[in-house]
Amino acid sequence: MNAQREFFEPEIVAFCCHYCAYAAADMAGSMRLSYPTNVKIIKIPCSGKTDVLYLLKAFEAGADGVFVAG
Amino acid sequence: MIFGEQKPLEEVEEMIKDCKKILIAGCNTCVAICFAGGEKEVGILASALRMRAKMANREQEVIEQTVQRQCEWEFVDELKENVEKVEVVVSLACGAGVQAVAERFPRAFIFPGLNTTGIAITEEAGVWAERCLACGNCILDKTGGICPITRCSKGLLNGPCGGSQNGKCEISPDVPCAWQLIYDRLKVLGKLDLLDGIKPPKDWSTSQSGGPRKVVREDLKSSS
Repeated sequence: MNAQREFFEPEIVAFCCHYCAYAAADMAGSMRLSYPTNVKIIKIPCSGKTDVLYLLKAFEAGADGVFVAG
Repeated sequence: MIFGEQKPLEEVEEMIKDCKKILIAGCNTCVAICFAGGEKEVGILASALRMRAKMANREQEVIEQTVQRQCEWEFVDELKENVEKVEVVVSLACGAGVQAVAERFPRAFIFPGLNTTGIAITEEAGVWAERCLACGNCILDKTGGICPITRCSKGLLNGPCGGSQNGKCEISPDVPCAWQLIYDRLKVLGKLDLLDGIKPPKDWSTSQSGGPRKVVREDLKSSS
């Protein structure tokens, strides 16, 4: 994912709360709003479900950045 | 329970840097309770080591397994298949667990991933504090249930010493004076008479000073 490119585009993993951030992303979709394809969304039941292991696994799989939204 | 702390990542990395395949072995009893060596901590350490290997361009495979207790053969034996697959095992158990794995697998390299601290209680979430030094000759009946061997920095049997200031130990204002605690508690219990007289020197032969301890219960031993 971290390939050499002319312009570095980070791969971002977003852990989104089912009840707010994920719903917002869903709403954005239904409103035909676009967001960058290099943001990969993972729905979690609550941002409180976030675990250090999830973050590490995302980095281990090659993510350049991880954020939690909730 | 036994409590401990994981060694710094750099120290673990140094131990295993020349190995191609490593097993991180966790223990799901005491060290899981203090968040040092249970299944989750094994996952975190393994993940961190895999990333470090990748960043350093090292060809290294890190596998994980956690057993219920690393200090009992029945559970240690569950590691057999993975131990045979790897060059080295990093055990996140206490020192007893590390040695049990080493004893069970005489041809395997077993490295410690933890520094074992002692026997503690969980004072509050995230705080573990030593309560017992396993001296082998308990005197808590004479000290109101507070152990001066463990909690007095000098291990005094007849305290407090002159370093007790406002209920705190001279080593740190964060450390309560064990003898102040003992006095306060015995006062509440109406048992201050327990402090009359001088306690004679303790017999330390029951502690580790008398050599490695062993308890043998003939009634529980297998007859074979």
